Amino acid sequence: MKKSFAVFWKRNLAFAKLAIVSNLEYRLNYFVDAVLQPTLTTGIEILLWFAVFRGAATTEIAGFSREYYLAYALWGAFFARICTSWMYEFRMIQEIDSGSINAILTRPMTYYEYYFSQLMGYKFITTIVSMVIPLLAIAIFNLPTKFERLPLAFALEFYYLILVHSISFVIAASAFYLNKIYSFTGAKNLALWLLTGELFPLDLMPEPIRSLVIALPFSSGVYVPVGYLTGRLEIATVWQSFLSVTAGIVIVNAFGAILWKKGLKAYTGTGA
Amino acid sequence: MAIVIETQDLTRVYKSYQKPEGFTNSLKGFFKRQYQHKVALDKTTLQIESGQIVGLVGANGAGKTTLLKMLSGLVTPSGGDARVLGYRPWERKNEFLRQISILLGQKNQLWWDISPADSYSLLARVYDLDPQAARKRVEHLAEMLQCTHVLHTQLRRLSLGERMKMEIIGALLHEPQVLFLDEPTIGLDIVAQETIREFLDQYVKEKAPTIILTSHYMDDIAKLADKLLLISKGHIVYQGTVPEFVAKSNSELAENEEVDFEEVIRRFLETESRVR
Amino acid sequence: MKTLLKYLGLYKAMFRASFIADLEYRVNFLTRIVTDIFWYIAQIVTFEVLFHHTQYIGAWNLEQMRVFLGVVFVVDALYMIILSENLDQFSEKVRKGDLDLLLAKPANSQFMISFQKACTPAIGNLVIATAWFVYSLMQMPNFEWLRLLWLIILIPCGLVALYAMRFTMASTAVIFARSENLQFIWYQIYRLGMRPDSIYVPWLKWFLLTALPVGVIASVPAKALLEPPAFELFAWVVILAGILIYLTNKFWKFALKSYSSASS
Repeated sequence: MKKSFAVFWKRNLAFAKLAIVSNLEYRLNYFVDAVLQPTLTTGIEILLWFAVFRGAATTEIAGFSREYYLAYALWGAFFARICTSWMYEFRMIQEIDSGSINAILTRPMTYYEYYFSQLMGYKFITTIVSMVIPLLAIAIFNLPTKFERLPLAFALEFYYLILVHSISFVIAASAFYLNKIYSFTGAKNLALWLLTGELFPLDLMPEPIRSLVIALPFSSGVYVPVGYLTGRLEIATVWQSFLSVTAGIVIVNAFGAILWKKGLKAYTGTGA
Repeated sequence: MAIVIETQDLTRVYKSYQKPEGFTNSLKGFFKRQYQHKVALDKTTLQIESGQIVGLVGANGAGKTTLLKMLSGLVTPSGGDARVLGYRPWERKNEFLRQISILLGQKNQLWWDISPADSYSLLARVYDLDPQAARKRVEHLAEMLQCTHVLHTQLRRLSLGERMKMEIIGALLHEPQVLFLDEPTIGLDIVAQETIREFLDQYVKEKAPTIILTSHYMDDIAKLADKLLLISKGHIVYQGTVPEFVAKSNSELAENEEVDFEEVIRRFLETESRVR
Repeated sequence: MKTLLKYLGLYKAMFRASFIADLEYRVNFLTRIVTDIFWYIAQIVTFEVLFHHTQYIGAWNLEQMRVFLGVVFVVDALYMIILSENLDQFSEKVRKGDLDLLLAKPANSQFMISFQKACTPAIGNLVIATAWFVYSLMQMPNFEWLRLLWLIILIPCGLVALYAMRFTMASTAVIFARSENLQFIWYQIYRLGMRPDSIYVPWLKWFLLTALPVGVIASVPAKALLEPPAFELFAWVVILAGILIYLTNKFWKFALKSYSSASS
């Protein structure tokens, strides 16, 4: 048992490295993906908050000053970038669609772990590279951030990534049953756009929606880590989020396992 | 000799949607669909002994690939049973997968963005091989295939022939006991075909794996295969050796006509397409 | 005139073929709508929530912002039906060498590559978008319905601006063979246009009405509905649309010159 875990760990580490190497290979792509795009998003969000505060003619909204919202927008774009998964989900679907999944199915490892370790490797390197932006901006504009809270915020974010990958796996497994499943990815990411709190801090919503969306595991993608980092939230919410993400992981994976097993059975092995 | 592959009434049926023609029919099809069932492989029973090279021959759509995919665990049968090395292939147990390998001539299985050497070290991880031993093995296989010089070039920069050689090394890295080769020489020039054929011949002498081979080039089959499996419309129509098959066909022909293997197969496929 | 009729007929034929092709993927009609309903909800909720805490954003109040979103949705739905699929798959087509086939046909290549495939499942989006738009107008106290006539000119101009930007970006695929990057950047730029331009600082607003005309897509038509007519602005938008069409054609010809076919 111990040995097989070591084997498991080593091969997953190898795939995490593969993801890092092959992403850095296309340097320009990577720069756009990890630096330019989040910078643009942040810029647009910050413009909106300026306008909102000008229109509201007050110094505080829901108890927080403009600086807090700017810090939220800044970190929000950064965390949203980490917790949104397009690329690997797209690849998984494509592989099932085209039949190139065969190459992985005949190897002694699971499809789930194959992509999970790649996703983690990719997100790890992206986090490190794109962190430059919020750090610089926070320093230049002197925005509120509690840096000692960063480790726990990241811990929650990466834990949440397990859920993200599990959802991707469910969507990919649906490709066994339906063709052109790509739009599911779009639908899911748009729904999460709102539910994670990327667009605005979730506590601005009116009750009872507010409590509901915060209790959902998706808030752990952006709202909870960023809220915690910028001082909107305290540690109790973070612990609660760990719990709700755990529940999410269990439910989604149970569903995914069933879909996968049935799907493979019906799978016709398209492509040569 | 031990039986490595065994099937009993192995069957696979595909269901497909019939696309109607024209606008109104498409609109009808949007609400109500007509499906068609196609038997790709019908109740196939066969046994293959260890250490043999089996050539699988048939027209396009005869069921070759379906059989190959069921035996390697990629496709679940709709009926019947099969055992490969004592495992049910489609359960895809890791112990089973570690002992087999499948090579699809028209698909890349190595990673596109990295060099073959890097791909092999990943594969060594996947199959839990000793990195040192795996490297030695790669060197040895590359020498046999005469392609040591491209090991460190990215896969996407290699020519088709070089890529196929790389794929072959990847498929043999973990010394599989059962090897499925689907069109390993497709699209290659004659020199590359010859190299690969010679390599396989030598490799089999060294390691004695069981190989199931499909190919459109009858030279591949005639030179390599110990046993021939002829498949037609989902049925196995002939099992035996190549010389026996040629002799049998010749005895059915008019007296003073003498044909070689390639000609026999050509005639076989021709009748197939005429019946269709 | 004859050529115009020819191209109209050609478009009709291509639209029909697209519809037949789309009918095969039934689920797509549903997922398309479901996807975009999330997008609509995200846009609407964002502003509804923000207006929960403020009276005005930029120059507009909640009712006016709803109308603005209505315009955004309608223009976006039209764009999706007519153009999205063609422009999204542009670089893929170039890489696979499909462009060669288009260039070999006796019809304007820019026309062919821009309009070949309509995305008919998005018709459902247009229905939903229009419903929201009408609803938002009915919420407006004493709205002048005659102002809707402005849209006949301004929405096509907005679509032209949208097309020109997207087409120019996609055409770079012909020159560089890779342009997914630009696609991602495009989505961000598009988002600038999905907000009323009154929230931007003057120089940026000016920029968005000229060099990077995302402001023309929705902000200008919405203004025509909500504020007294600004004739100079409308005239500029019409002129701009003409300029943009001319420029895309120039750029396309330039791109084709440096085109090296993917198969060679």
